Amino acid sequence: MDFPILSAILLCPLAAVLVIMLIPAGRDEWVRWVSAVFSAIALALSTVLWFAYDPGAAGLQFTEHIPWVPAVGIDYHMAVDGYGVALIMLNSLVLFTGVLTMWTLKVRVKEYFAFMMLLVVGVYGVFMTQDLFLLFFFYEIAVVPMYPLILIWGSTRKEYGAMKLMLFLLVGSALLFPALLAIYHQAGLGTFSLVELGAHTFERDFQVFVYPFVYLGFGVLAGMFPFHGWSPTGHVAAPTAVSMLHAGVLMKLGAFGVLVVGIRLLPEGALYWAPLFAVLAAVGIIYGGFVALRQNDFKFVIGFSSVSHMGIVLLGLNIGVIGFAGGDASTGQSAFDGAVFQMFAHGVMTALFFSTVGYIYETSHSKMIGDFGGLGSQMPKAVSIFIVAGLCGAGLPGLASFWGELLVFLAALATFPLLGAVVVAGLVLTALYVLRVFNQAFFGPPNPKWEGLPDLRGWALLPRALLVAVLVLFGFFPRAMLDLIGSTTSLLAEVF
Amino acid sequence: MSPTLLVLLTIFAPFVAFGISLVFLMRRPVLAQGVALAGGAVSVLAALLLLAGGPAEPVRHLWFASGNFQLQFGFVFDGLSLAFGAVVAVIAFCIQVYSIGYMHHDPGRTRYFAMLGLFGWSMLGFVYSVDLLQAFIFWELVGLASFFLIGFWYEKPEAIAAAKKAFIMTRVGDVGLFIGVLMILNLTGISDIPALLDAETGLLAHVSGGTLALIMMLLFMGIAGKSAQFPLHTWLPDAMEGPTPVSALLHSATMVAAGVFLFARLHPLFLASEVVVVTVLAVALFTAILSSTIALVERDIKRVLAYSSIGQLGFMLAALAAGSLFAGVLHLILHAVFKALLFLCAGSYIHRFETNDMEEIGRLGARRMRWTTAGLLAGGGALAGIPPLAGFFSKEEVLAAISYAGYTAFWLVALLAAFLTAYYTFRMIFLVTLPARMEQGAKDAAGDSPWVMLVPMAVLTAGAVLGGLMMGPLGGLLGLEVPSHSLISMLPALGAVAVGVGLAWWDFGRARAPRRGFVEALGPLHTLFVNKWYVDDFYRATFGRAVHAVSRLLQKTEEKGLDGGFDNAAISTSRLGGLIARLQNGWVQSYIASVILIVALAGFYLGIR
Repeated sequence: MDFPILSAILLCPLAAVLVIMLIPAGRDEWVRWVSAVFSAIALALSTVLWFAYDPGAAGLQFTEHIPWVPAVGIDYHMAVDGYGVALIMLNSLVLFTGVLTMWTLKVRVKEYFAFMMLLVVGVYGVFMTQDLFLLFFFYEIAVVPMYPLILIWGSTRKEYGAMKLMLFLLVGSALLFPALLAIYHQAGLGTFSLVELGAHTFERDFQVFVYPFVYLGFGVLAGMFPFHGWSPTGHVAAPTAVSMLHAGVLMKLGAFGVLVVGIRLLPEGALYWAPLFAVLAAVGIIYGGFVALRQNDFKFVIGFSSVSHMGIVLLGLNIGVIGFAGGDASTGQSAFDGAVFQMFAHGVMTALFFSTVGYIYETSHSKMIGDFGGLGSQMPKAVSIFIVAGLCGAGLPGLASFWGELLVFLAALATFPLLGAVVVAGLVLTALYVLRVFNQAFFGPPNPKWEGLPDLRGWALLPRALLVAVLVLFGFFPRAMLDLIGSTTSLLAEVF
Repeated sequence: MSPTLLVLLTIFAPFVAFGISLVFLMRRPVLAQGVALAGGAVSVLAALLLLAGGPAEPVRHLWFASGNFQLQFGFVFDGLSLAFGAVVAVIAFCIQVYSIGYMHHDPGRTRYFAMLGLFGWSMLGFVYSVDLLQAFIFWELVGLASFFLIGFWYEKPEAIAAAKKAFIMTRVGDVGLFIGVLMILNLTGISDIPALLDAETGLLAHVSGGTLALIMMLLFMGIAGKSAQFPLHTWLPDAMEGPTPVSALLHSATMVAAGVFLFARLHPLFLASEVVVVTVLAVALFTAILSSTIALVERDIKRVLAYSSIGQLGFMLAALAAGSLFAGVLHLILHAVFKALLFLCAGSYIHRFETNDMEEIGRLGARRMRWTTAGLLAGGGALAGIPPLAGFFSKEEVLAAISYAGYTAFWLVALLAAFLTAYYTFRMIFLVTLPARMEQGAKDAAGDSPWVMLVPMAVLTAGAVLGGLMMGPLGGLLGLEVPSHSLISMLPALGAVAVGVGLAWWDFGRARAPRRGFVEALGPLHTLFVNKWYVDDFYRATFGRAVHAVSRLLQKTEEKGLDGGFDNAAISTSRLGGLIARLQNGWVQSYIASVILIVALAGFYLGIR
């Protein structure tokens, strides 16, 4: 058997949790280094995985299959396709930069890193498992640690934010769990294997009935309009690296779930609901932009911009369904490619956003836009990095998210011209709220209160610079991503 | 050297300079300057070598593919790209050299020169683009670079407001352009420009009629945004908040030129739709009149020049829409030269006298800056269309193009605009060079700008004077015959210019001139012009307010409605829990009462079934 690279990646954060728990109290330095080393190993392994994956062969690769509970057909079945590879890479990037971002944490360091690593175990698991039961299991592992992480290390109405997040996500799970059991029973195959369930064709009525449960259940986590309320509040309340993971990776879990459970298993149901959900996604794009325009807290702006940007992902998924089902393979391809590209780009971008805002908050103890002004002269490096993230958010070419948006818009215009045009017009809105933040906080006469604040330097630059480099890399060489995910999308076409 | 290598040098030399400066030289402005100049010089040399090599086949390299959609990254080497690319590189380099003098005391010079590099890279990348989507990408980057340059003095609130306005307004246009490009992709699957232009298999073979008109109008939206045409023109005068060399760059060969260039690039497609042709003519010439009338009453020298740019861009678009690629491109190139020169002259005065007010500049002794003033005369003369300066030839071609195409009404409007242009240009010249009185001591303050500023101005002055000579070579490059005109046909235009100059002399030049424009006697019209036709106020009152109102409304919806609604649901659930909890009060009596109640209700329910 080949080296089980997926299990190895999964083991990194898990081993980190165990080791961290064994470290005696007061050795915070050890905790940090253990987290950094394990997340660096995970990042390195993900890079290996990226290059080892053969897009030409498409399909699932690096399969590890060990029966676990044969009585009900639950297996430890790990394998990835192009999407999985991309998202695992995203998770590793956000984890590694998140650990470095939290290097200066002082409070209950050990518990913090243990919870964070546990959360990441869940995320990796969802992206690599091919077993429906395990997927749900990992999904819950990823969600639950958010509660203590926000409650203990958060700020700004943290109890409220943590509770709200938890309630929303649990309601999502409550919709999801019966739907997953229904899928299991309806198929009658006695297995939770996603591969076998994917090969089974469910009755149309069943698909139409169950799909909305799956879509809404996962969609809540993806920040779908109108069930997005937990997300900005949660962002604001969460500590920096948790916001990074939360917006960077967790929201993608939702979209990924819609894709691998909803669309792959229930394509006809997806098609039935796609127009409605596409419209909701488009509303979310515009709505998020308008609301972001009125926020006074950096993190709220980013939170609502995430609602808007995740709307693009969800729009892409729904348009893709319509494209493939309608026989328009090219539109379907663009839409899914775009949605997954946007998932990756948005993940890196928001991680960069929160990482930088976290730095500004850490030094100035404020994250209210109105408190600043002319910060560009006081911390030029931090501000420049924030500007890069902002421009990426505004969809500027040369940065990764341009390509995701381009492909989704292209498909949207081909499918629903009017809706597509409205969504493209939303670009003006994005530019407005991004530039508003720039002009109010970073440009203009400097506020003497912040004179002498230290700028980013040395090690603190590393995680931010890494994320910037990734955005620029994929901005200039979109092929690096599209070659990876393109063949997976082509395979998806066969579901319809 | 192969064209591919040369074009890579042309485009990427400024980009490399940008990257190096920004990453390594933040604290070494002098070195950054050197790097920027080196990048600019390489770029100019390579662009000129490319031009000397003559047209060649396009090169393409697959950038990525998704479905049927393939994006090729590549370059075209036709006459249009070669000629305009060289102009862009030369003017950008002149402005870089000039900036050494103009910006020598600015602490943010590294950033400045880096951004000039970004600007040069994006504009040159745009000019040589083989693919429409690739062109769009560079087009957006041009917008980004101008955002940073207009807002270069970012501690000045006016500067950043202007930068934001420029970015947002051009983006409004870009939404149209983007939708148009994506529609083309969806309908034809092609984004390669030469392929789109192909008469047999290109865009015209796929779409026609209303769809074609819609697409071309959407593309024109983007052009109107970038080239500052009504109703998206209001960002351009405000963009004067940037450093003057930036204005020179923005208004001549880059940014605003990009719109006209795109129109020229897709010329046959625009001409294929009559509706579009007439709309463009109407918009362009209306813009020319609107901007010229505002220029009549401006006192700020840079703003006069800004409004003149808007008007001249209108001329270029009108010529192109009237069917003459040659006239449009000629005016684009020559205007780039003399407008850059005019801005550099204005910068030279401003640098010395620290004021933008024309009368004040004149009073402080502008005339004594002989070299600068010579440049102003050459550039101003060219702008007004005085023979045999560069602008005379191109304006003649533009007017002839509109007239030959049979649009007599439009031709008359264009003549009016030519008259107004001559008038306000000479108003500027007279105000600056023939002040009513000069300040005491103005004579002692004589002396001109340093040579680093004068040399680039001299180069551009030569261009403004001798530009007419390039008509033949340009025609050859574009593969078009240079039209010849009889003297008679030139008379109306010459007359309009002469009247304009004469009236300006009467109002501002002669010894007893009233030094008040004739417009001041026009009452309400004068008010209209002074208030810039109320366009800005209209936008503030409508779009500005609407966006705020909607975002306020949605914010309320979020707080009270959506988010608040979920909060209320949670609170109600918790209250309900509280109510039910009361049943668990530990009294056996109440437990028995509940049991009886429930049994009774159940019995009642079963009974009525």
